[in-house]
Amino acid sequence: MSLEIHDISKAFGGFRALDGVRLTIETGSLFGIIGPNGAGKSTLFSVVSGFARADEGQIRLDGQSLDSLSPPARARAGMVRTFQVPREFRHLTVRENLMAAAPKQTGESLLGLFFRPGRVREEEGAIAERVNQTIRFLKLSAVADQPSGKLSGGQKKLLELGRALMVEPRLILLDEPFAGVNPVLIGEIMERITELNTRGIGFAIIEHDLEALTRLVPQLAVMDRGKVLAQGAPQAVLDDPLVREAYLGGVS
Amino acid sequence: MFYAQLLVNGLVQGLVIGLAALSITLVFGIARFPNAATGDFMTFGAYAALSAHKATGSIAMGGLAAIIATGVISLLAYLAVFRRLAERSVVALLVASIGIAFFIRAVLGVAFGHSQQVFQVPLSRPYVFGSVRITPLDLQLAAVALAALALVFAILYLTPIGRQMRAVADNRDLARVSGIRPDRVMIALWLLAGSVAGVAGMMLGIKTIVTPEFGWEMLLPAFTAAILGGIGSPVGAVVAGLLLGVVQEVSTPFVGFTYKIALAFIIMLAVLLVRPRGLFGRLEGAR
Repeated sequence: MSLEIHDISKAFGGFRALDGVRLTIETGSLFGIIGPNGAGKSTLFSVVSGFARADEGQIRLDGQSLDSLSPPARARAGMVRTFQVPREFRHLTVRENLMAAAPKQTGESLLGLFFRPGRVREEEGAIAERVNQTIRFLKLSAVADQPSGKLSGGQKKLLELGRALMVEPRLILLDEPFAGVNPVLIGEIMERITELNTRGIGFAIIEHDLEALTRLVPQLAVMDRGKVLAQGAPQAVLDDPLVREAYLGGVS
Repeated sequence: MFYAQLLVNGLVQGLVIGLAALSITLVFGIARFPNAATGDFMTFGAYAALSAHKATGSIAMGGLAAIIATGVISLLAYLAVFRRLAERSVVALLVASIGIAFFIRAVLGVAFGHSQQVFQVPLSRPYVFGSVRITPLDLQLAAVALAALALVFAILYLTPIGRQMRAVADNRDLARVSGIRPDRVMIALWLLAGSVAGVAGMMLGIKTIVTPEFGWEMLLPAFTAAILGGIGSPVGAVVAGLLLGVVQEVSTPFVGFTYKIALAFIIMLAVLLVRPRGLFGRLEGAR
């Protein structure tokens, strides 16, 4: 079971942000992606989540082709992304943020709302219960009914993780989950990730904090200038001469 | 006490403006463009109500017809035109909505003629409170408007689709990657925006006379209220609508009937110059 990224290319004007990226990420695993700024890491997430269209290449999740699916359909297929600069529905409360992301709601249409009110109420109960669990799991209870725009940077990262969890994903794409987060909260987020992983949820994580990342993931890939330079166990990858050249500027 | 009477008249008028402004602000907040067809959605609602009222003699049936027919015509406008232009500029959508406005007006002109029509509602004795007279009809209309408002706000703030509508208004891209399907949200939006405009049109039709142009003439006050209330803010639109209705009525003795429309224009300019995010506004919602 895996996310297969097959020869994906994406250009913005004359700039090839992704240049034939080939990567296989096991859906139940923890997988790191590192690389210098502009290497194409976030663009890769955008293309994989359907946010941006690839110029070439195919993407499959557990054998199912995602190429023709819209972003919401990809999310509902079990793969969600978060953002480098955390995003939230800032005027909605933390609770509403999570509830909005729950899939398969009968009350998503006016017809469902008016003609199946009993079912809508039942589902709302179940969703509210899942949201409560998620809020407790992420330790966001204290701010559950506050507008999410008022959260701290770290809390917003947790909220993003929560919103991703609401769609019951198999794979979550985390874009720099530790950036701008205080060290205590970094530990907290790492713990949550590890625990979710033991429940079978996979993570692909873009991160600049190499130290934190290598503690977390057994496998990582290095990207540079739109290409994957190397892939494997952290130490082996970091010792790769190509990687040292590109990423660490050849410093030994 | 003369002014108390004007205040009451203004509140009823204000509910009409508020409903129209709510329709505009919902569309602006979620679909992100000023819908110039809102006035003609109102006209459509008025004719739908008029026809149903003539056929059945029931104001309630008229209201139901206005809600359903205008909701449907609004949804059709979305499916046929606005959806296809969704990725285009605001200007393209605005111009398209002006086109739809003219189209609806022309069709109504052909179907119903250009002569003035009125709802044949029985005259009834007004309730008198001191020197203020309120007709039962005004009370009924106010009740209908308040019920419509209550329903819209309940949908927006208490239901799954309302939550998703607010999520899309807040951050459309995030909504999409979170698995929220914008198509569903848009369908609900256009049905709601149309129905609300339809109710406003029926109310205005009962209060005044129905012609194919009468909704278009309400567009300026409705936009003013939407801007005054803070574009994208449903509560703001309604409050500003009431405020504008009252100000227009109370100012009539000073500026004269002819110029009360101009007042809306002056208020709109003043708000845009002095406080562009309006009373309840959040400008970032209106990119």
